[in-house]
Amino acid sequence: MTFDQILFYVFSFWFIASSLAMIFSRNAAKAVLFLILSFFSAASIWILLEAEFLAITLILVYVGAVMVLFLFVIKMLNIDKSTLRAKFAGYLPLGLLVAAIIIAEMTLVLGGNQFGLDVIAAPARHAADYSNITVLAMQLYTTYIYPFELAAVLLLIAIIAAITLVHRNESTRKKQSISEQVSVQAKDRMRLVSIASPKKENK
Amino acid sequence: MIDNIKKLVKDFSLSELRGGMKITAKELINKKITVQYPEEKTPISPRFRGLHALRRYPNGEERCIACKLCEAVCPANAITIESEMRDDGTRRTTQYDIDLFKCIFCGFCEEACPVDAIVETQIFEYAFVGSRDGNDNTKGQFGSIITKDQLLEVGDKNEKMITQTKLEDAKYK
Amino acid sequence: MMVLWQSFVELVHELMPWYDGSIATILIILIKAIALVMPLMLVVAYFTYAERKVIGYMQLRIGPNRVGPKGWLQPIADALKLMTKEIIFPTKANIYLFLLAPILAIAPAIAVWAVIPFDEGIYVANLDISLLYVLAIGSIGVYGIILAGWASNSKYPLLGALRSASLLVSYEIVIGFALVTVVMIAGSVNLNDIVMAQKGGILHWYWIPLFPMMIIFFISALVETNRAPFDVVEGESEIVGGTHVEYSGMTFAVFFLAEYANMILMAVLAVIMFFGGWHSPFEGIPFMESMFAWVPGIIWLLAKTTFFMFLYLWIRATFPRFRYDQIMRLSWKVFLPWTIAWIFVVALMTQLKIGPWF
Repeated sequence: MTFDQILFYVFSFWFIASSLAMIFSRNAAKAVLFLILSFFSAASIWILLEAEFLAITLILVYVGAVMVLFLFVIKMLNIDKSTLRAKFAGYLPLGLLVAAIIIAEMTLVLGGNQFGLDVIAAPARHAADYSNITVLAMQLYTTYIYPFELAAVLLLIAIIAAITLVHRNESTRKKQSISEQVSVQAKDRMRLVSIASPKKENK
Repeated sequence: MIDNIKKLVKDFSLSELRGGMKITAKELINKKITVQYPEEKTPISPRFRGLHALRRYPNGEERCIACKLCEAVCPANAITIESEMRDDGTRRTTQYDIDLFKCIFCGFCEEACPVDAIVETQIFEYAFVGSRDGNDNTKGQFGSIITKDQLLEVGDKNEKMITQTKLEDAKYK
Repeated sequence: MMVLWQSFVELVHELMPWYDGSIATILIILIKAIALVMPLMLVVAYFTYAERKVIGYMQLRIGPNRVGPKGWLQPIADALKLMTKEIIFPTKANIYLFLLAPILAIAPAIAVWAVIPFDEGIYVANLDISLLYVLAIGSIGVYGIILAGWASNSKYPLLGALRSASLLVSYEIVIGFALVTVVMIAGSVNLNDIVMAQKGGILHWYWIPLFPMMIIFFISALVETNRAPFDVVEGESEIVGGTHVEYSGMTFAVFFLAEYANMILMAVLAVIMFFGGWHSPFEGIPFMESMFAWVPGIIWLLAKTTFFMFLYLWIRATFPRFRYDQIMRLSWKVFLPWTIAWIFVVALMTQLKIGPWF
């Protein structure tokens, strides 16, 4: 066994173990932490596959930003477990059916007979100066430029939609205007008046 | 309009931030004013009101005549006095306690005293040791309640300083 | 010596029969890591001393001067004190996460240093995507603070963690965009290549075409490292000590180390990105270049970094703390539009080939 393979099995083990732990952990915050661990394992496996740009992007975007927001939300929520469990029992048959369908589909599409070295040859190892990011950029900005731009526009629309949804009833809300506060100057708030001092009378 | 442009220029050149940093940079090289306490000390006014002391006359007789004016005037009720007649017919204190936790160091006791017995010295570096009554009289240590013997001891030790400061202050009284 | 080495090699092969690489590789990696981490920790220790001295001087005080000559042993004394102090666990805290938090804070703070180039060819790892690595690993550091706040099971740490989470997510975007402009000019995300692209004296460094980005990057770095005037995460006067409230002894010291290691990292990153890394500022100036030719590159890098580290202290001594919502506004309504606008400016400059940078 080569060092690469050892690493692959270690990372795969952690990936599967942490994913299972994520599903079965009762505590939402712990589940998020296990999800982060499984992201890391996935990123490590991608690095073994010479896809270091994707691996780093996975960490940067999902671990660095999305999961932080997840934790943020979990802290804000006070999840009532009893109602959750009651609902869980109610949805169990439907959930099992969906799970069975998904598993069946995945075995058909991603089953062992679709992959393996006899079906698809192992990709050639690249030289040390092979730059994954350059190759990816070339592909993205030439062959796949339109899908790439479309995805970007979609994201932009999503951002605008999110902001619009939050910003309704703008006029009825009471809020501070920080830019006004920041740009305030002394003469806006204070008026210096010179008052004639009273004459000194009988000494 | 002109004001707005002026403000924009001022904002984007970060002029206020630079002004603030200029001040701190200037202070960085200015002379430091730290007093390195145990080695250096700031001057103390002769009117400074520190630890109390009971004084004696030059012949060794204690001044206090147990008139209890200090006890009466004390706004914090920190002074407790018991007295008796001595064999020579004079009235003297048997107990003269000052609770230093209660004391607010206002100096009224000193003002009230008709014989200049109770005074406040310039001593401020002292510590309370042990329980309320203090434990070890031999080392000059005392608890939060300082007794007559200890007050007299403070007075005996610092008589020179007390006379000196009272003399300095006398001309302003 | 040779016998010792032989037995060591045998031992390693015995323990790791699958490892067919040379033992020297492992040893070299280990030595490199130690050679990086040990001085880093020492610098962190003395940075705290410098901070207390500089801020003291700016407030007309003289700072620590009792332990050792001129107080030089103060950080050592502090470290000893923190090491020997008791670690207190809050009764209802989640102990595992409570202890995991400082580890999660310090590990990324040190791991990031692996890709920082100190001189031509002096680095632990020359990653092709080292800038992205720095950003990615740097963004993990926030988990230490968030977990500390959550695991402490206490209100002030939780408030601090909430502030930290939202601040870091906001300012990571700004830092990312500010650094994109550098990447656009240098044409690489490799820190080595970015420094090499700035060769040729002070006028060739990127701080001239990217001056607003440099300022935005530095201010964002202050926020990312929870430094004054943006230290709302700790906010002694508002939320007591934020995420650090429940931590004592060595667990607190580890947070401290992580915070200061991150500060130094941000200073080095500013130098690498905008101030030509290890290049001498006098390159290309006829007389000065030969005069300063003997100075090794690492000295230039450290000198520039020291200036930025001093700037951290200078700013802390000068400005009062921002209000939390003002910091958020600064990120989303001021910095982000500016960085995005400057990306277009840089694109234009690149196309028109202005100056010596493109």
